[in-house]
Amino acid sequence: MRRSSLIGIIPLLLLFATGEASAHAFLDHAQPRVGNKVAAPPREVTLWFTQKLEPAFSTITVTNAAGERVDAGKARVNGNQMSVSLRPGGTGTYHVTWRVLSVDTHTTDGSFSFEVGQ
Amino acid sequence: MTWFGAEIDGPMIVVRTIHFAAAAVTVGALMFRAFVAEPALRSQREARAIVDSQIRSVAWTGLAVTVASGLTWVLLLTMSLSGEGPGEAVMSGALRDVLNLTQFGLVSQVRLAFAAVLAICLTLQRSALSRWIGLGAAVGLIASIAWTGHAASTLPKLGYLHLAADALHLLAAATWIGGLVPLALLLNVGRKYHLLAWASLELDAVRRFSSLGIVSVATLIVSGLINAWILVGSFRGLVDTVYGWILMLKVIVFTIMVVLATVNRLMLTPRIALPPGSEAQCYALGRLTRNTVTEIALGLLVFAIVGVLGTLHPSAHLVR
Repeated sequence: MRRSSLIGIIPLLLLFATGEASAHAFLDHAQPRVGNKVAAPPREVTLWFTQKLEPAFSTITVTNAAGERVDAGKARVNGNQMSVSLRPGGTGTYHVTWRVLSVDTHTTDGSFSFEVGQ
Repeated sequence: MTWFGAEIDGPMIVVRTIHFAAAAVTVGALMFRAFVAEPALRSQREARAIVDSQIRSVAWTGLAVTVASGLTWVLLLTMSLSGEGPGEAVMSGALRDVLNLTQFGLVSQVRLAFAAVLAICLTLQRSALSRWIGLGAAVGLIASIAWTGHAASTLPKLGYLHLAADALHLLAAATWIGGLVPLALLLNVGRKYHLLAWASLELDAVRRFSSLGIVSVATLIVSGLINAWILVGSFRGLVDTVYGWILMLKVIVFTIMVVLATVNRLMLTPRIALPPGSEAQCYALGRLTRNTVTEIALGLLVFAIVGVLGTLHPSAHLVR
């Protein structure tokens, strides 16, 4: 685990400063998992990010294999977790597109897909 | 604009740099007044009045620039989130949304309140109570910057440690770097005014500032290590990323500042205790003043580097 690596900390003893550094929220993992296949259309998609998010400026859209939007309602954000409920959308490749604002005011976006199959 | 593969947002970096520097100078001036000028000059009314007037000018100027740059920062952020121009961003309600619906916006409102309290206290400056409340508001103004940066978005429970370290880091930087400005002005007082027993007062003030500087540097080192552990996380993160290189540059500039401060304390300060008017004393005083001005310039460079760092991905999220 990188945080418990003492070897990493020894060179850090040469470091005296950091400070007002900011980060961007990267996607840490998702459910359904990125690139995976699930047997049945999921009821919701949940994304976990590396940073805490701003609910008012974070959005997510999910489209099914036919290109129709299947996300229902507003995205729910709790800390670094964002989820949205899905309408039934059939089988095939689903695309998830997200755009988030982290609490330290940086915007990131990305997309991924997962398979819904028999 | 892309620079070494990193996206650089020019106007945002400039505004942040100005804001950090102005806030640091404002807080540094008041910390200097409370812990250096007032104790050292307690017995000398005339000297105290002159130095106090200098400090209040610095604090007022710093506060005005802090507020202006802070408002510009909020506006620039709103414009980048909404994709609108400045007028549109205000009229369309985007600014209202940022202020009320984001932590950054809410923190900015709190910071504006600190600035207002400080302005009132600077106006009512005769009362000792208003000076202490003003100092508290100034400390709040600088420490709350931590809630606008990465520390605010670090996940708990590490996030609490990060916020604490960052707030202390900001306060220590402001106390030391910001305090250099009233120090430089104080060192110039002897040249402009003929004051009784000024040399010994000056020496006392320099020694007190030196002690304050030592506490600040120690705090910067410890809090900086904590922040670096969280944001960089590994040696690879330090040497393999743009973020790491710019952070190392910050450390180098900081080290040069500490070397200058050490020369000031160990070599020059004892010499300004020599008979006033003697060649050695005059040389030491001149050298001390020049070193202080150099440190101020380097401090400004540190704030510019921090202004850049704040817009980059920290290494910890790029290197595993």
